[in-house]
Amino acid sequence: MQTATNLAPDAPDLKSNRLTLRYVLQHAGIGLALLILVIFFSIASEHFLTAGNITNILTQITINLILAVGMTFVILIGGIDLSVGSVLAFAGVVAGKVITLSGFSDGTLITMAVLAGLGTGVICGLMNGLISAWWGLPSFIITLGMLNIARGAALHVADARTIYSFPFSFEEFGSIMIFGVPILFLLALALVAVAWVVLNFTVFGRMVYGIGNNEEAVRLAGHNVMFYKVGAFAICGACAGLAALAYMARLNISSPIAGIAFELDAIAAVIIGGTSLAGGRGSVLGTLMGAFIIGVLANGLILMGLNDFMRQMITGLVIIVAVIVDYYRARFSTT
Amino acid sequence: MKFTKFIAAAATSVSLLATAAYADADHPKVGLVMKSLANEFFQNMMVGAEAHAEKRGDYELLAVGMQNETDFESQINAVNTFITQGVDAIVIAPADSRAMVRPLKRAMEAGITVVNFDVALDADAKKQQGVELAFVGPDNRQGAKMAGDALAAALGEGGKVVIIEGNPGADNATQRRLGFEDSVAEHGLNLLDSRTAYWETEEANTVFANMLTANPDIQGVMAANDSMAIGVVQALEAAGRDDILVVGFDNVPAAKALVGEGKLLATIDQFGSEMAANAIDLAIDVVRGGPELEGWVRTPIDLVTQ
Repeated sequence: MQTATNLAPDAPDLKSNRLTLRYVLQHAGIGLALLILVIFFSIASEHFLTAGNITNILTQITINLILAVGMTFVILIGGIDLSVGSVLAFAGVVAGKVITLSGFSDGTLITMAVLAGLGTGVICGLMNGLISAWWGLPSFIITLGMLNIARGAALHVADARTIYSFPFSFEEFGSIMIFGVPILFLLALALVAVAWVVLNFTVFGRMVYGIGNNEEAVRLAGHNVMFYKVGAFAICGACAGLAALAYMARLNISSPIAGIAFELDAIAAVIIGGTSLAGGRGSVLGTLMGAFIIGVLANGLILMGLNDFMRQMITGLVIIVAVIVDYYRARFSTT
Repeated sequence: MKFTKFIAAAATSVSLLATAAYADADHPKVGLVMKSLANEFFQNMMVGAEAHAEKRGDYELLAVGMQNETDFESQINAVNTFITQGVDAIVIAPADSRAMVRPLKRAMEAGITVVNFDVALDADAKKQQGVELAFVGPDNRQGAKMAGDALAAALGEGGKVVIIEGNPGADNATQRRLGFEDSVAEHGLNLLDSRTAYWETEEANTVFANMLTANPDIQGVMAANDSMAIGVVQALEAAGRDDILVVGFDNVPAAKALVGEGKLLATIDQFGSEMAANAIDLAIDVVRGGPELEGWVRTPIDLVTQ
């Protein structure tokens, strides 16, 4: 029987020096791109490289980063999750309904809301995973269905209304800064770290890469492919739930129309970060940098005074360029 | 006359229930076509219309909403279905002010009383199709100007302001932007920047935080709806700026609360929950033989301050 390690040749093997070098090189390109952007905007706008603006950027990329971490798992197994924006809205209004209940202490309400938000996300993710894995259907179409289900559910639960007036301590928590770094961003960063450990040092992580590379081989090796696939979607759903809580803590409202098209930014962050849409190759650290690139672009282009439509065009261009770069990187790393 | 109406209706509908086309004027059928029910404004309107139907009790309400703000194809289908069902009146908030003219013309040819509310149909498109149709609704431009004027009065001449716009291309977004710009021109305000945040809170929060970084001397913000105003208020709190004034539009409950706390200077109430109900009243009057509506029947708008 093959070992799991052999099934995932592209997973970074940190024990081997040769592979460590390749691992560094893999991230060097995207890191360089980010650096160039930062230098460019620093020259283009006097406001870009200021403490206040850096805080802004960190605040603004947090939600996308959380979604993109979950998305990385799904894309690594060769799937896609189009429902995360809607699931964010659904989890948000469920948590919002819970947190505005009367007759409980603030602590109880916040705990229940966190569980409700996370739980909603996990349930949606489990449904995505179970349905697509059980019937072997493309996750593209199943999660497209969930995109509608979750949006409809969010509107239904919230009666299409914005939910507001959360406990004071919850609203305060969202605005805590530690040396100018938003606490919500630090939590997202912690999530990246956990995801990195899971993907690189656990059997689960090995299997995620393995399934993306060669699902049949993993199955023939006697592993429960369905378990790992459903697990990846559940993680993605949980991240959507977390992102919903971050949205609530930042804006102090829940909105059933929150998160429209957020899945596209999350997918873009993952792809710009060098994870292959075909699965099996990529990393969550690349995703972190991908999220930074999208956030820095959105921020910097406004600071430069570019109009909205130009901004949208440039963001689209960057995504396409990233995929072309990834095409060449994939070719060179296999030859 | 009845016969020609029947021919027109039959020609334009897939399966006409002939008897239904001549429903009793004492208990007319009214088809209400709204925009996105995902929008709090239309949700309130829907609830208001249902309450109104129950209270009056002398007409049958058939209401449909859309998936999203720009889903005019569903609206066209809804209008065609109503023609088929033989409703007596169609009361519609068009999702597209040009595309809806032709299907509504068909409805009128089928003898249905049509009342256009909320967003006016395009005047040129109406002329082109030879359609004469009154508009019942608020003056979004006037409303935005009222909010802008409230901000201008607080800031004084030369106040530095930015505009947060609604969806590019949406008629009410355009009207509100123009209203804000009217106010800027009239009071000699200094407009630093104007950007869309697609009606959405998180987008407005992000976009405005970045505008504030680029223009730290902003003194006032005109947001084209309350969802975006909420995002702006949150960005101001995050930046620790309590010296910048914000006005919104719509008077949704969450914004009303902010007005009460003094975090939002003003918002505009256009009485959305009553708007559909009022348009239905007007439609039923015409169905029962009242005079046809003409021109622009303006509905009330009100400035909401602390």
